[in-house]
Amino acid sequence: MKNHTIQRYLGNFARGLILLFFLLVVLVPIYWMVITSFKTNAEIINTQEITYFPRTVTTDNYVQLFRLYDYRSMLANSLIVSVSTGLCVTFLSILGGYGLARYSFRGKDTMLLFFLVTQMIPGILVIIPLYVIFAKLGLINTRLSLFIFYVIANLPFCAITMRSFFERIPYTLEEAAYVDGCSKLKSLITIVLPVMFPGIVAVFVFAFIGAWNELIAGTIFINTSDLWTVPVGLKSLIGKYDVRWGVLMAGGVCALLPTAIMFAFMQKFVVEGLTSGAVKE
Amino acid sequence: MGILVFYLALIAVACAFGIVFINKRTGKKSLFRVSNSMQRKAEPYLFLLPVMLLLLLMFGYPLINSFIMAFQNYKLTSPGRIYFNGLENFRNLLSETDISLIIANSFAYVVISVLGQFILGMTLAMALNKQFPFRGIYQALVFLPWSFSAFVIGLMHRWSFNGEYGVVNDVLLRLNIISSKIAWLGTPGFSLAVVIFAMIWMGIPFFAIMILAALQSIPKDVYEASYIDGCGPLRRFFKITFAYIKPTVIVTILLRTIWIFNSFDLIVIITNGGPANFSQTLPSYMYTKAFSSYDFGLASALGVLLMVTLVVYVTVFLKITKYNKAGNF
Amino acid sequence: MKKKVLLALALITISAMMVLVASPSTEKRETTRLRFIDVSPSPTRQEYFTNTFEKFKQETGITVVYESVPWDDAANKLTVLGASNQLPDVMTTWAGWLGQFTEAGWVVPLADYIGNTKSEYASTVTELVWKAEQELYGNIYTIPDGMMVKGVFVRKDWAKEAGLNLDMKKGWTYSDYFDAVYKLTDPSKNRYGTSFRGSRGAFDPLFVYLTSLNGGSAYAQDGSTLLANQEAIDAYKRWMALYLDGCAPRDAINWGFVEMVDNFCGGLTGTLINDSEVAATCLANMEDHQWMVMPMPRSDKDGKIYNTVNAPYAYSISSTSKNKDAAWKLIEFLTRPDNNIEYCKLTGLIPIKTAVGNDPFYGPDGPYAAFVQQLNDPDMVVPVAFGPFNFTDMHQGMMHEEMQKYLLGRQTAETSLLNVVRELERRMKRYLAENPGSSVEQPKGLL
Repeated sequence: MKNHTIQRYLGNFARGLILLFFLLVVLVPIYWMVITSFKTNAEIINTQEITYFPRTVTTDNYVQLFRLYDYRSMLANSLIVSVSTGLCVTFLSILGGYGLARYSFRGKDTMLLFFLVTQMIPGILVIIPLYVIFAKLGLINTRLSLFIFYVIANLPFCAITMRSFFERIPYTLEEAAYVDGCSKLKSLITIVLPVMFPGIVAVFVFAFIGAWNELIAGTIFINTSDLWTVPVGLKSLIGKYDVRWGVLMAGGVCALLPTAIMFAFMQKFVVEGLTSGAVKE
Repeated sequence: MGILVFYLALIAVACAFGIVFINKRTGKKSLFRVSNSMQRKAEPYLFLLPVMLLLLLMFGYPLINSFIMAFQNYKLTSPGRIYFNGLENFRNLLSETDISLIIANSFAYVVISVLGQFILGMTLAMALNKQFPFRGIYQALVFLPWSFSAFVIGLMHRWSFNGEYGVVNDVLLRLNIISSKIAWLGTPGFSLAVVIFAMIWMGIPFFAIMILAALQSIPKDVYEASYIDGCGPLRRFFKITFAYIKPTVIVTILLRTIWIFNSFDLIVIITNGGPANFSQTLPSYMYTKAFSSYDFGLASALGVLLMVTLVVYVTVFLKITKYNKAGNF
Repeated sequence: MKKKVLLALALITISAMMVLVASPSTEKRETTRLRFIDVSPSPTRQEYFTNTFEKFKQETGITVVYESVPWDDAANKLTVLGASNQLPDVMTTWAGWLGQFTEAGWVVPLADYIGNTKSEYASTVTELVWKAEQELYGNIYTIPDGMMVKGVFVRKDWAKEAGLNLDMKKGWTYSDYFDAVYKLTDPSKNRYGTSFRGSRGAFDPLFVYLTSLNGGSAYAQDGSTLLANQEAIDAYKRWMALYLDGCAPRDAINWGFVEMVDNFCGGLTGTLINDSEVAATCLANMEDHQWMVMPMPRSDKDGKIYNTVNAPYAYSISSTSKNKDAAWKLIEFLTRPDNNIEYCKLTGLIPIKTAVGNDPFYGPDGPYAAFVQQLNDPDMVVPVAFGPFNFTDMHQGMMHEEMQKYLLGRQTAETSLLNVVRELERRMKRYLAENPGSSVEQPKGLL
């Protein structure tokens, strides 16, 4: 009995150390970003002395970010596009993942390979032909073009991932439902999806972030600055000779908030949605 | 514009209805194996129809186009002179003086980044698998590196690792770990290390989230049974935990490798491939070449080479890890 | 049941999002609509252009849409636009791209549009920029937005401490310049003499230095290079010694523009060779007593100042534009003296029309004094460009990579220099052969 307790304490201690380590690794650069966003430009580029806390705390960068650079519209654009992408991709990859996982059919392996191959195509070779197509359809400089591109870009990965999540659910669960008289669709929705919930949430988050962070398509498909997403807008702070470091860091920090909130809630949904799965110790 | 909206919505709705319809017709039979009925045969295709349609539409044409361009003399600056030139693009590629260095860099970059992310991500996932106070807030913070745009991360690292005013040197000097400033971005070897470091930092949350989601879907009873059987922690890890998450791990490593292999934004931002191509990888080389020499035949040839390499890798990897067998238990 | 409701909700949200996504934030169709792209946007520029376009609309009834792309991605975006025939009507272009654009046929010759109004433009434009374009590409393709000249930014306070006597009006030679860099280097104070550029663009100032030994030329009439002799190799070594002897931080081997300027303004380096645009950054980040601008050094050989003069974001008309005449009207409007001087003051450039007169902003006591002085100096010569052919791939690659290889000790100076100039020579000779009747560009002076 004592052995077990010591083991448990050691385990918790090790766990605590690991958690602390990762927290530091993540927080230190973010801390640096945050304090930089509160420094004056002169202090930032002062090469003779690096300050670990702003000598003069200034909110100038944030003010400029919102007033001068219209960050609000960038955030709005990014949010609209990313949430739409996340929802659409999740929905389609549930369908696709289920099909890939539960069925054995001709062409399945080719399809899988095709999914993977789409991930291997270098971006620039796709963007130019796509630009021509979008231009013909009059989609250039619309959020729709970004939405379409992000959905298609993130779909293969999310479908494959969803498939692997489905595969882990033993078929016996559904079988039991059929015996009880459920239709295929009903069993999918009422039995399988709740168990899959952590996976579904994960996939949504990935699709969202895939769209949130994307830069190249945002630059190419959008012409006017009122439709810029956050990454493109922040990139415009890099001029030919100088970088507006303070404002850039402020923008980066602000861009973190939606995703941070999502990550926090992700855990909540995951825990609540589970019917079986959490390890009890 | 509205046409496309309706088109997409139509596909989604049609598929949903199709599935419901077919369900009502075929009843509640088990459909795990392909049966003789045409409608049952059609089911999987219906599930996958929207996905495949979209992918084919958007990736099909560029894919074919790239293959064709790889064998053509296709320069944007001479639009009138497009002709097939066989393997000349490939020959030009391989005759680039630093090509072996670039290839070596690519492999080092991919292998070290993936391994680093995997090991660290797995560790983090396992540490997170147990409830502890403030876990929600902790998770909100520790996954943040994934939510940065690559170019923000790149800029931060370019700035922090600057030999003169960078934070890293300052800290290392203060802690007496080094005695003089290191020119991180200006020294061969170190410049690549900085890029790898940035890539690992960015990618840990991805692995962690995927593995965590997999871990949390392991049925409780399996663990309980193992306790009753008196299983040791190490054995429990390998026989149960790892076996359950193996498919996820395989998929994640596979995809991450493909992405990292193809990624170039971090490199372009942090070091621009320098100094002297010591942190240049194949994709960043292709990116620079495509937009500076306007030679899309050459860029496509390189793109094709990259794709072929990845296809070979994927096939070998899946065979080795016996992926197709891993899913069934 | 609850799950079905959720599913329905999800579908509704999706449709709602799609509607939001599909709604554009723009514009109704009008009769003439011009697209204008700015390759170096900033809130100041955007505000200036949007206001000016409003004025333009009131005067002519033509609407102009302001498009922009961050500088870092500007070249790539224009490439994609060009490759898909979607270039905007009026583009701001950087001189370095003209080789590609003219070769790909993306820009329209402007000589006919300019016609008789040529006399309205300052001689810097007609004698330097346009003459060069005509020699290189056979016609005029851009209207400069403002003139930009290089100068040497120096830490005035450090120079005083080191006992250097720098007089802007007198100028200095390259020997003086190298001397000053060595004197300003003081490792004990963590000071370096120069913001050495080692990454993209590193070869540019070095090229100017090498041509200063040949009267500003780089090629003989038949296209063979003048920069492959022992004199050039020695000069190459002298330039690179600035880095190898520790007058620049070790990191500088991979420095781009941003690092150079940041480190000068941040107090790490003592000199910085750069365009007049940087003066605005210095004004914003440094005190007056800390910096000054010296003209570019004179050649040790013939005492002339060799300096590049160009327009950072010159206006050009794309060949696929459907409203070329309206586009020209816009350019005319933007370069009208009153608009032009307002623009130049905002962006730190020098006006392009002679009607500008004597604005004290550009006078001998202003921050741009050194630049204006050089432009009025009879001894100033603009050296040749790399060539009329496309050299962007070299500029993004081998030009600075060869330098880096030498600095890393992997190659001799001779090999590094010859690799680059021989390739330039090869391309020049091929260009001359493929374009009979063309000749090698000559250096230009103002008088």
